[in-house]
Amino acid sequence: MIRPSNSLLARAPVVLRRSFSTGIPRRNDHLPTTNSPIITKLDFFNSVTGNDTQIPTYRLLDGVGKPLDGAQLPEIDEAFAHRLYSNMQLLPTLDNVLYNVQRQGKISFYMTAHGEEATIVGSAAALDMQDEVLGQYREMGVLLWRGFTLDSVMAQCFGNEEDTSGKGRQMPVHFGSPEHHFHTISSPLATQIPQAAGVAYALRRSPTRRSKNIAACFFGEGAASEGDFHAGLMLASTIPSPALFIARNNGFAISTPSTEQYNGDGIASRGPGYGIDTLRVDGNDVLAVISAIREARKRCLEQGRAVLVEAMTYRVGHHSTSDDSFAYRARSEVEDRKRIDNPITRFRLFMESRGWWNNDAETELKARLKADVMKAFKRAETMKRAELGELFTDVYGGQEPWNIKEQRQELSRLVKKYGTIWEPWQKELSKFRNNGQDLMK
Amino acid sequence: MVSRLALSRLAPVLNVARSSASAAARRNIRPARSYATSSDGEQHSMTVRDALNVAMEEEMLRDETVFILGEEVARYNGAYKVTKGLMDKFGEKRVVDTPITEMGFAGIAVGAALQGLRPICEFMTFNFAMQAIDQIVNSAGKTYYMSGGNVPCPVVFRGPNGAAAGVGAQHSQDYAAWYGSVPGLKVVSPWSAEDCKGLLKAAIRDPNPVVFLENEMMYGISFPMSAEAMSDNFLLPIGKCKVEREGTDVTLVGHSKMVGHCMEAAEALAKEGIKAEVINLRSIRPLDIDTIIKSVKKTNRLVIVEGGWPGFGVGSEICAQIVESEAFDYLDAPVERVTGADVPTPYATVLENLSFPDTPVIVKVAKRALYRTN
Repeated sequence: MIRPSNSLLARAPVVLRRSFSTGIPRRNDHLPTTNSPIITKLDFFNSVTGNDTQIPTYRLLDGVGKPLDGAQLPEIDEAFAHRLYSNMQLLPTLDNVLYNVQRQGKISFYMTAHGEEATIVGSAAALDMQDEVLGQYREMGVLLWRGFTLDSVMAQCFGNEEDTSGKGRQMPVHFGSPEHHFHTISSPLATQIPQAAGVAYALRRSPTRRSKNIAACFFGEGAASEGDFHAGLMLASTIPSPALFIARNNGFAISTPSTEQYNGDGIASRGPGYGIDTLRVDGNDVLAVISAIREARKRCLEQGRAVLVEAMTYRVGHHSTSDDSFAYRARSEVEDRKRIDNPITRFRLFMESRGWWNNDAETELKARLKADVMKAFKRAETMKRAELGELFTDVYGGQEPWNIKEQRQELSRLVKKYGTIWEPWQKELSKFRNNGQDLMK
Repeated sequence: MVSRLALSRLAPVLNVARSSASAAARRNIRPARSYATSSDGEQHSMTVRDALNVAMEEEMLRDETVFILGEEVARYNGAYKVTKGLMDKFGEKRVVDTPITEMGFAGIAVGAALQGLRPICEFMTFNFAMQAIDQIVNSAGKTYYMSGGNVPCPVVFRGPNGAAAGVGAQHSQDYAAWYGSVPGLKVVSPWSAEDCKGLLKAAIRDPNPVVFLENEMMYGISFPMSAEAMSDNFLLPIGKCKVEREGTDVTLVGHSKMVGHCMEAAEALAKEGIKAEVINLRSIRPLDIDTIIKSVKKTNRLVIVEGGWPGFGVGSEICAQIVESEAFDYLDAPVERVTGADVPTPYATVLENLSFPDTPVIVKVAKRALYRTN
């Protein structure tokens, strides 16, 4: 890897010799500003592997959960495997319920993680619980792994009075929880990528967290086309910071297939361009994801620098509830992928081969998860919204400016005037905690 | 250093293109500041550039979490030398040179603020910050609200704003109205050295994202500084304007460089027996409309002066708020706006000079508001 600061010094004598030389430059000479060797052959290249092959993909288990020859599995015991598996199964259970809840019009929006369970849960399992996570929007599994409850998930999606992510101010799946070291999801794509470099910089500056924690940043291969991706990786590289960039290459950016998203070798090929250690991993192999992220995290901390991991997976679900993916891909393609490259099935087969899992356990788990999710859903559905006056809080920290006060006073005046005597307003106010009383004082 | 200069895009050109007056002022950068040891009664003065520099230095001494980042802020001392000497004092960890990508280093600043630091993000000019406007508006401005008050974002975005001299349409615009329309952001547009010091220190301590709009043409200008303003605990409240000159006949409201023109205009009007009151806005958001209302009720006439475009501007907003307020009943003449011409800023000097308000035009409009044509 080229490191301009020290390489310049090392090259100084070479530069001198060249400038006085009158002959043809020797093969081992360099230009004054790089370590690039001089050659006399026109040698265009378009591959980071150097031999025109694609970047390889790291994998440990084959499609039926059998370890590949020479694969070094991460150390996991039966209890940990159960935890991984139940978290992977929880995602589709929750997704199916909330997807249908959206279809019934009870929430405005939802995004499923079907097909990407191994990438999300495997990454979560490999990270430290205190590592700062900056997600894109499809990383609810990381929060659940860290103990974010189903009630909290429902509260956010319904925007009810228990919503600790944002008091009902954000669209569904825009979670955030400082307690779980999970940064608030932001809708504009890829803004979290340069921010992750800043979070990692702050961690490096913190005496208590330096060398202990990293910033882990998730994004899709579509988001990697945004300028923020390039800016973020370059800055994390030039202002070194322990940021781990995890690209979920799920094949689609809404309707745009990854074949139209880039003409190069995926996202991984860009890492070396920014001087960043990079790995491509089979994102549907949860054990490979765990090993990859563990090692990437270790490098982040040891070198104090950014690392990029591209997890190859497949988005089985639609992009979001605003999308019908069968308009741009065949239903059979999706069904095939679900059957032959299913991350959950693959890991279940692995567990069964170890004697850690069987049909009874599967039935019991699925029934339990479904019951838990339905219980949380039913509880959230009937809950009230936050107090009406919360509409105006948190626009600014510190002293509240007059324009915020004035708006609250105006609403308060109207609620006092009509809130107790006009039926449509009474009905509307009853949806809020304390029925709007906080503004009637 | 040669490559650093080459990378600095337009800044060296801007430096050369500037008027000789401000270049001369820059050469007078103090060898050492004397305020700490000065005796009582001594008259202090300071350039805007130094006031900004002192504000950052004092706040960095006071608070370990404050740091500066931007293009060539460290080794090159800033494209306009506003960060001069800070890298030597605080090291490269707290004065950070970044590659040229506004969306990237604004993103780093936002991320660091979300994680508990207090970044000062310098844009070489706010014209280039448009690349980063999503980070400023959507991330910095909204995260505190969207996170339900969980995650504050105490970041200062600062740099020169507004028209400079001879740098054409894409380097000569005023962003006060742009950022001023966004709830969640605070927007400051200082004029004098005292404004710059007190407001920048307040901006750095503020728990919210603050857009701090400086003016390149003002950097080299010296202003007197009160003993209070020289103290290292001098803060000015964001959201309050300052009555720079009291008067009874007409109210002139301006921000940034236009305050100076308003003061000159008031002086010229005084020679004709007209007592103009001059209000220095200082803050764009929150806007201190109360002080303007009070003044209009006294003078019954309002002229708003700005370097931005007329449409949907700071003047438009003030005019709207005045006619919506009780001050409307006190107006004896239509509210007047004196603004930049509604065209992309031309390069040629004669055209450029015609495009922005100057003292004579303010005098003329103030007299029109007083129904005086002579």
